[in-house]
Parts: sequence; structure tokens; C-alpha cells
Amino acid sequence: MRHFTFLYEAPTSPPGSFELENWLTWARTSEPAHADELAFRHELEIGVTNHFQAGIYFADWAYTHANGGSGFNYSDAALELIYNFSNPVIDPLGLSIYQEFKAGDRLLQWESKIIAQKNLGPLILAYNMTLEAVWEGDDLRKTEGELQQAVGASYELSPRLAAGIEFLHEFVFPHWRDAQAISNIFVGPNVSYRRSNWFVTVTALAQATRTEEEPDFQLRTIFGIGL
Amino acid sequence: MRFSILLPGIALLTSCQWTRYYTPPPIAQRTVDLALVQKGRRLFAQRCIECHTLPPVWRYQAEDWPQIVNSMAHRAALTSGEREAIIAYILAARAE
Repeated sequence: MRHFTFLYEAPTSPPGSFELENWLTWARTSEPAHADELAFRHELEIGVTNHFQAGIYFADWAYTHANGGSGFNYSDAALELIYNFSNPVIDPLGLSIYQEFKAGDRLLQWESKIIAQKNLGPLILAYNMTLEAVWEGDDLRKTEGELQQAVGASYELSPRLAAGIEFLHEFVFPHWRDAQAISNIFVGPNVSYRRSNWFVTVTALAQATRTEEEPDFQLRTIFGIGL
Repeated sequence: MRFSILLPGIALLTSCQWTRYYTPPPIAQRTVDLALVQKGRRLFAQRCIECHTLPPVWRYQAEDWPQIVNSMAHRAALTSGEREAIIAYILAARAE
């Protein structure tokens, strides 16, 4: 179950559990040219121990519609590992670390996160700090780094329904150089609904900065089902 | 002006009242199996928040809790021993 779609939560899946998650992200970009992208992800999450979970992204792929043309493209597959150190309810702060390895057609990516969370009754507060390194292009020579901080709050209106807000601040470092750093801010509401062994969570994010080539608007939906 | 709005909110979130209502209390009773209820408290806080935040233990009647826990046991991947520990903890916490 996820209360957020652009942030991770500190608790890990129960040992022996399997959950299939399908992600759909629609991103609309208007500068320098108008483009719409539908990005898909299919993930299997596996609870390994009480404090450790693994996730396999079988495929990240996208459909892009732009003035220059439209088409599908396969991006990558990935492995994510999450280890939980403390509990967000009975410990002062819930903490986890996250590591992701991604490889695809002309893409290699390494992503590390620190995940912090505190539950205060029906209110969930989450914070993620993410460091990402990307190698892409025909010979993997195009490099990029990203430092992202994200904050989210979700309030459980009932055991089935929660609503909240997500805020992302990212620094993009083309060629891993801070002289050209680009700063982007995204903010927007989220809502999640769960029933027996499935859930759906939706977040709509608008760009609060005016960075070219970054989406003006993103809508992400994650549908998960316990197997 | 901003502080006048923020301070009461921060005070509410950090107040003892808030944590007393929603943080599963530790058990001090001598009449229960302490090792079992401590295990139950840890599991209650660990497994149940995978799907939802924790309700105060007195929200439901004592006789309703076993059925509530059992109905979600598969989703939380609880063994029968873990189910028993959670139920023992909840009933002990209600009785404190």
C-alpha cells in the first residue's frame, strides 16, 4: 500500500509477501516544444525479511506524442533494495535506506535514497533524499546527476481513504557539474484508496518553476495488488 | 502572524495527548506474558502500518479484535503465532 507516488515510505513489506504494482505517469511538457508522455512501469515487490524488501522493475516503457512524431520506446529494467532500520510509530523516527540499479537500452542508472517517516495518529509525514547518477546515450557518455529532496504528508480520512500533498525539489547536474545546475520544484495533491488486497494512489504535480524540458504537469497512478 | 498559526499546530502534533492516543502503549502488567505482548506490540506497529495507520486500541470492543486481526492476517503475512501475539498485546493494552 502506498500513500504517495513520488515518495517512498519507510516500512518494508512483510516477509514472504508479493505485490504487483503497475505505474502510469502522464507528463505534459510545453517548453521548448509541446509533448505528452505516458510512462509505464511494472514492478514486483517481495518481502524478504521483517526489515528487508526487494523490487524488480520488469519493464519501464513509454509512449510519447510530440510535434515531431509519436511512438513507443522501451527504457530499462531495474532492481531496488530497501532496508528498514526503525519504525515510524514506536521509534522516534522511521528510517530506511534504498538502493536502485537500472539498466536498459543505452542507459545505466544508480539511485540511492534515505527515507524518513513519522506517523502521528492518522497523519503520515515522509521525507526522501535521493542521489542519482545517470549514464546514457549510444556509448553511455552523456552523464547527469540529480539531488532530490521530497516531502509528503498524507492524512487517513478512513482506513480505506487517505489524502495529502507531495512536494519535490530537485537539482539536476548535467555532466555532473554544479556550474550548470538546474533547480526544479513540483508540488501537488495526492489521494489513495485501498480495499482488501489492492490499492490505487494518484498524485497530480505541477511545476512551480519555469524550467524548459521539464514537465509542466505530471499525473502518476500506482495500482497495486497483493498476490 | 505565521507563528500564531503554526505554533498551536506544532504544539498539538508534539503534545503528550496526541502520542498517548495513537502510539501503541508499552505494557507493564505482571499478569500477562510480557515477552508475548512485547512481540505483539512490535508486530502491530510493524505489519499493520504497511496498509493503514494504527487505530487506538479502544476503538473496537475487545471481543471484536480477534476477528479484525484475523481478517487482515493474510495481507500482513502473519503466522498464527504472530496473530496471537498481536491480539494478546491489544487486549492487554485495552485492559491497562
